[in-house]
Amino acid sequence: MGTALNLTFIVLLVVTALLAVLARDLLAAVIIFSAYSLIMALMWQRLQAPDLALTEAAVGAGVTTVLFVVAIFKTRRREEEEE
Amino acid sequence: MRLFHNYHYIASMLLFCIGLYTVIVRRNIIKKLIGLNIMETSVFLFLISLGYLDGGIAPIGIGGADPSRMVNPLPQALILTGIVVAVSVTALALALVILLYRQYGTLDVDRLFRDEETGGEEGEEKGETA
Amino acid sequence: MISLVFIAALFALLLYVVANMPPMGDPDNPTNSSEVIERYLEKGGEETHADNVVTGIIINYRGYDTMGEVTVIFCALAAVLAVLGRERRGRIYAYVDRSRVPSSVIVRTMVALLVPFIILFSVYTILHGEISPGGGFQGGAIVGGSMIVFTTIFGLLESSQRIPQRLRFPLEGSAVITFFAVGALGLAGGGNFLTFAWPEIAGNLQPSLVVWLTVLVETGIGLGGAMVLISILFSMIREEEEIAVVP
Repeated sequence: MGTALNLTFIVLLVVTALLAVLARDLLAAVIIFSAYSLIMALMWQRLQAPDLALTEAAVGAGVTTVLFVVAIFKTRRREEEEE
Repeated sequence: MRLFHNYHYIASMLLFCIGLYTVIVRRNIIKKLIGLNIMETSVFLFLISLGYLDGGIAPIGIGGADPSRMVNPLPQALILTGIVVAVSVTALALALVILLYRQYGTLDVDRLFRDEETGGEEGEEKGETA
Repeated sequence: MISLVFIAALFALLLYVVANMPPMGDPDNPTNSSEVIERYLEKGGEETHADNVVTGIIINYRGYDTMGEVTVIFCALAAVLAVLGRERRGRIYAYVDRSRVPSSVIVRTMVALLVPFIILFSVYTILHGEISPGGGFQGGAIVGGSMIVFTTIFGLLESSQRIPQRLRFPLEGSAVITFFAVGALGLAGGGNFLTFAWPEIAGNLQPSLVVWLTVLVETGIGLGGAMVLISILFSMIREEEEIAVVP
C-alpha cells in the first residue's frame, strides 16, 4: 500500500516535470510546475517531513508560482519559435 | 532488488537529469529557471530520502514518541533552509529576467547574444517603447 | 543531440552509483546511525525545549545557518529592489494596473472573507513552531501567499494601502535584527553567541526563557519573511508608468 502510493507520487512527479519542460506555453508550464510542487509537498509528508511539506506547499506552490506568473505577464507568454 | 528498493533515489536522479536537460537545451530563460527549480527539488528529495527510516515517524516528540523510530531530522532542517534560499534565488533571477526583457525585448538566449554582437539596435528600440 | 547523449551518460552514471548505495530506510545506514543524530533526537527536547526537533535544530543547534539564511533572503530583497526599484511612497499614485483583473462580487467577497483566516492560521503556525510542524518561514510564506491572493483580486493600489510602505520598511529587516539581538543577549548573559541558555543570569528561569526566546525569534523570522516576500511581489508587479494624481 505504502509502496504503491509512493510509486504513484513518483510517477506523477516525473510526468509533471516532463510536461512542464515540454510545454510550449510558458504559463501552462508554470502552472504544471505548481502542480509538481504540490505533489512534492505530498511526497515530503510521505517521507515523514511535515515541516518541509508545509514550506513546500506555501513557498513552492504558492509564492514561486506567483512570481513566475508575474514575470511572464511582464514579458511574453510564448516561447520564441526556432528560426 | 536493491535498485528497485531505492526507487526514491532513481526518481531524484531522473528529475535531476530532466532539469539539467532543460537548463542546457531550452533557449527560453524562464524555462531554464523552471529547470533549475526542478533540479533543486530533486536534490532535496535525494537528501530527505537518505534520512528516511522504514516505518519511521516525524521527528516531533509529543505524546511520548519513541526517539529511536524518528527519521533523521538533520537533512530536514538543512533543506528547510535550502527551500527558502531557492525561492530567494528564483525571485532575484526573475527580477533580472524582467529587466533583461525591458532592455532587449526577448527572452531567447540565442537572440540575446546575437543582439549583443550586432550592438543591440533592435533591442534598444523595444526597450524604449516598453 | 550531443547534450542528450551527455545527459543519458550522466543518468547511467548516477544509476550505477545508486545501485551501489545501501538500501533506503535501513537504520544501519551511515547517515542514520551517527552519534549527532542520536544526540539531537534524544536530548533535543531537554536542551532546546522544543518538542519539534527540526525547529530545535534550526533555531538553536544550527543558529548560525539560519542567521545566514535570513541574511540571504534580506539580500535577495535588497537586490530585487536595486534591480527593479520600490513602488513610490508618499503621494497617491494611480497605477496603470494590469495586475487588476476585473473580478466578480463573489470572488471579491470570498477573498475578503478568507484572508483574515489565512493570516490567523499563519499566526498559529508561527507561534506553535516548537511543538508542531511549522515555524517562522512557513508562517511568513503563508502571510505572503494570502497577500498575493489579495493583490491578484484587488490590485496593487489597494493592497499597498493595506500594508503601506512605512509599515513594511522597518519590518523587512526584523528577522536579521531579532536573530542578532537574541544572539547578543546570549553573549551578555554569559553564554556564547546565539546560546539561548543564560547560565549566569537566569539559570533557574531557563525553560520558560528559552521557550519565549524561541517564540520571539520565530516571530521575527515570520514577520521579516512575510514582509520581504510582499515587498518583492509589489516591486515586481509595479508598472513603470505611474500617473500622479493630485494629492
